[in-house]
Amino acid sequence: MIIEARNIQKSFTDGKETIPVLRGIDFGVERGEIVSLEGPSGSGKTTFLSILGCILTPSKGDVMIDGERVEAKRLNAIRKRSLGFVFQQFNLFPSLTAIENIEYSLNVKGMRGRDARSEAQRVIEAVGLGDRQAFLPRDLSGGQKQRVAIARALAGNAPILLADEPTANLDSVVGTQVLEMFRALAKKENRALVIVTHDPKVRAVADRVVKIHDGRLSS
Amino acid sequence: MVDLATKSLVHDKLRFLITVSGVAFAVTLVFVQVGLFLGLMDNASLTIEHLNADLWVTSHDTKNIDFAHTFPETHVKRVRAVPGVARADNLIVWFMNVSLPNGAVEGTEVYALEDFGRWNFPWKISGGNLEDLRRGNYMFLDASAEKRYGGPFAIGEYREVIGRRLKIIGRSEEAKSFTTTPLTFIDFTLAQSLVPSELRGNTTYILVKLAPGANVEQVRAEIRRRLPYNDVFTGKEWASRSRSYWVDSTGLGLNMYLTVFLGCLVGIVVVAQTLYTSTMEHIKEFGTVKAIGGGNADIYAILGKQAAIAAVLGFIFGAAMAYALRPLIYKIDLKLVIPPQLFAIVFAGSVVLCLAAAMISFRKVASIDPALVFRN
Repeated sequence: MIIEARNIQKSFTDGKETIPVLRGIDFGVERGEIVSLEGPSGSGKTTFLSILGCILTPSKGDVMIDGERVEAKRLNAIRKRSLGFVFQQFNLFPSLTAIENIEYSLNVKGMRGRDARSEAQRVIEAVGLGDRQAFLPRDLSGGQKQRVAIARALAGNAPILLADEPTANLDSVVGTQVLEMFRALAKKENRALVIVTHDPKVRAVADRVVKIHDGRLSS
Repeated sequence: MVDLATKSLVHDKLRFLITVSGVAFAVTLVFVQVGLFLGLMDNASLTIEHLNADLWVTSHDTKNIDFAHTFPETHVKRVRAVPGVARADNLIVWFMNVSLPNGAVEGTEVYALEDFGRWNFPWKISGGNLEDLRRGNYMFLDASAEKRYGGPFAIGEYREVIGRRLKIIGRSEEAKSFTTTPLTFIDFTLAQSLVPSELRGNTTYILVKLAPGANVEQVRAEIRRRLPYNDVFTGKEWASRSRSYWVDSTGLGLNMYLTVFLGCLVGIVVVAQTLYTSTMEHIKEFGTVKAIGGGNADIYAILGKQAAIAAVLGFIFGAAMAYALRPLIYKIDLKLVIPPQLFAIVFAGSVVLCLAAAMISFRKVASIDPALVFRN
């Protein structure tokens, strides 16, 4: 397993009240595997994704990435090395062009200069936006923005890609195109892909569907 | 390396303009205020510096060159007798009234020496011969009088000084006092005769030039011993004392410090406010930086660089505006003195204060939860 969650529990406090969100989740994904994580609003899927993404730490349980236990003090380093994110709202930097958005994320991960530029070039062409690389996000369509976001996640060879509702802001046709492209690239580059979604179209591209309900996984 | 800081800063052009304008305004304010202050201070000691005396003998506790008090002119003989003194001359500085052709009466600050040429004073002459002053009822008038007295004057014209008609035989330039009263130069004995009640047999200062190799402290001590009821200052001390008087007694210094403080405050507030608002508006972007592996330090670097850019550009525009104002300020008979040291201090101050302003946003950045990238 490239990523594995063992007995993940997470609760938040609201004043004196403790609210359990995740109640003991065991989960794992292999390299090259695409998993759709589905569940109703409030089921805890985004919290779980945040824990898998080393953004939140679990109240209890462990996350293992490539066999290594994730420690709270190393979250940043692990995110840089092993994880790529795609967000529902794209979260591109509006002042940077498409290729600069990708290159900047590589810079943050420690890749500089020509290496960063050529890797950004590779992934932007992989998502079919080579001719739009100098466009600012405001000049791109929703589908194009999401493709830039996917390219950003792919850049730097992070073995795990996490996507939060990647089709929520796209129309049906564009959403399907983006998902198919995402699947093809993840497979081609042997990346693990976890997609949190409400969108039934995601099932069509997933190798496995996992449902989460009231903080627990159900098949 | 992609320069997110610069690109993000200039992306919102209006905010960028406001930030740079805020710094530029503050820089201009500081330059103009301090420059005017230095200009006034320059005027306060301008004549002292140009007379270039090694020692000044004044009446006891005289506060500055303009507000002179009398003592016997014969004291100069005792000074001349001091070993190490190359020459010593009496100088009268006195305010007198001038009747203008239009019937108005204005003030003039009279400088009276027995030999102006020996002291190369006034230092810039655009007409006339200083040697002629001792030949009768003659005067040199500084060009600054034209504005103050409401019109041009020409060599050969007459002005009535305390009821006596004096012929203008020359014209000086750039001779000014802190009081802005135009300077007039007349012969020493003529000055005494114009105000006999106060000046007959008296002087207001003795200018001392030392012989080569003479020890200034030894000469000063000896003059003090011989003239125990007078004060003796070096040229630098006297210039400094004259300037300090105006700074301390008029609130000019306080006014300058207050304006400089307010200028800095305006700059800090504008930069801090725009950077903080910008931080709040870009909080999701900063969350993204954290989500993709960046730390607080990466975001601090972005904010720091933006503040530094605002500081440098604001400084350039502010300094340019201050320089552009110089001719206008000269037109109203004021000086804007901007020495290189002030340039360096204001530049460093701009950068430091803008960085300090950026730090106000640092706390907000530190508290950004990268999980917010998953929120809509």
